[in-house]
Amino acid sequence: MLVHPCSVDTPTTFQQTVDPDLIARLQRGELAAFELIYRRFERAAWTLALRLTGRADVAQEVLQDAMLKAFERARQYRGDAPFAAWLRKLVVNEALMQLRHDRLHVIEVFDDTLAIDESPAPWMHADAATLERALHRLPDAARAVLWLYHVEGYTHVEIAEQFGRSVSFSKSQLARATRRTRELLQPQLQVEVTP
Amino acid sequence: MNDRLDHDFMNDESRRHDRDDVALGAALRALPASTPARDAWPELASRIRRRNVARKAVWFTLPAAFAAGVALTLAWPHLHRPVVPPAFTPVATQVSSHAATPPVNNIDALQASSQQWQAWVQKLDRNGAPLDGRQLTQAVALQDRIGLVDLQLSAARNSSTTADLWQQRITLLQQLGLLHLQPYLVATQRPANGDHLISM
Repeated sequence: MLVHPCSVDTPTTFQQTVDPDLIARLQRGELAAFELIYRRFERAAWTLALRLTGRADVAQEVLQDAMLKAFERARQYRGDAPFAAWLRKLVVNEALMQLRHDRLHVIEVFDDTLAIDESPAPWMHADAATLERALHRLPDAARAVLWLYHVEGYTHVEIAEQFGRSVSFSKSQLARATRRTRELLQPQLQVEVTP
Repeated sequence: MNDRLDHDFMNDESRRHDRDDVALGAALRALPASTPARDAWPELASRIRRRNVARKAVWFTLPAAFAAGVALTLAWPHLHRPVVPPAFTPVATQVSSHAATPPVNNIDALQASSQQWQAWVQKLDRNGAPLDGRQLTQAVALQDRIGLVDLQLSAARNSSTTADLWQQRITLLQQLGLLHLQPYLVATQRPANGDHLISM
């Protein structure tokens, strides 16, 4: 078993700038330069892949395949957007592709006839571990839409494009994910929730 | 009056939901980053090195292939025979109309079509007129892309990706074949503006 070299100091987000010289070295195919970039974005890419797919084994594949594409397509990066945003897009695309191929064809239909829940939002008081567990228990499409919308800042139009579906699909999946998250975080309702 | 009360109620509801949504977003963004259980770099680096070796192998064979092609084109007048391309598009059309996971027999059909196109291109390469510098550059670029597709095919894991890649390969072979025909088309048509007949 290989020991992971990540330390607490390793950057954890895509909010990083990359030295243009380092990018130029990557574009020349220097593996050492790519390793530096990989190390900087590994946790961010892994976390994003895990949040979108909900499974560590799938996230591992996404991380590998997205990074491989980053290396092979580095010369296509034109510098018109931050390198980190370009890399993040590769990870999102790869994760959604995995979901499409693996499981996403089973998309649950949103039932908008259910009553609006007027209880206070439970995520305001939930600890991170509980929220993370709830996130992983969401259906694949709902979880991915929830994450893309709230964390990655995608619009419904962009999400619809990514999934090859309509805008109403994105909105209904987001509503479903929000309601299901609420249910999962309220212990008294959990018995009614299908995992 | 009731309408007004309903309107106020709806506005209150909407504001509350917006507030909840903002809070949910904040809670999700505040989740701590995760760390992979194992270091994936050695495996990734190994994959990259293997691919680089395979790519270099493709590049190594290209000059030899072109040298042979050039030598053969010198003997062109003695070797010339009409070369008939395979029929355009039937396999591509069939497959593109299928669902995301095409059955294996479609992949077989794509493979067979790819072989036909490759044989046609090889005949043109052996017997065709020499390419000029720009055409030669385009041919090398196309062959490089075919080599990349071949690499991706060797790593493809599902039938949908495989079918897409075979389709790409056929398209690239068609472009390469047309490139080899360009000297004849230029000779017979000679467009006034000198534009190339194939845009890459």
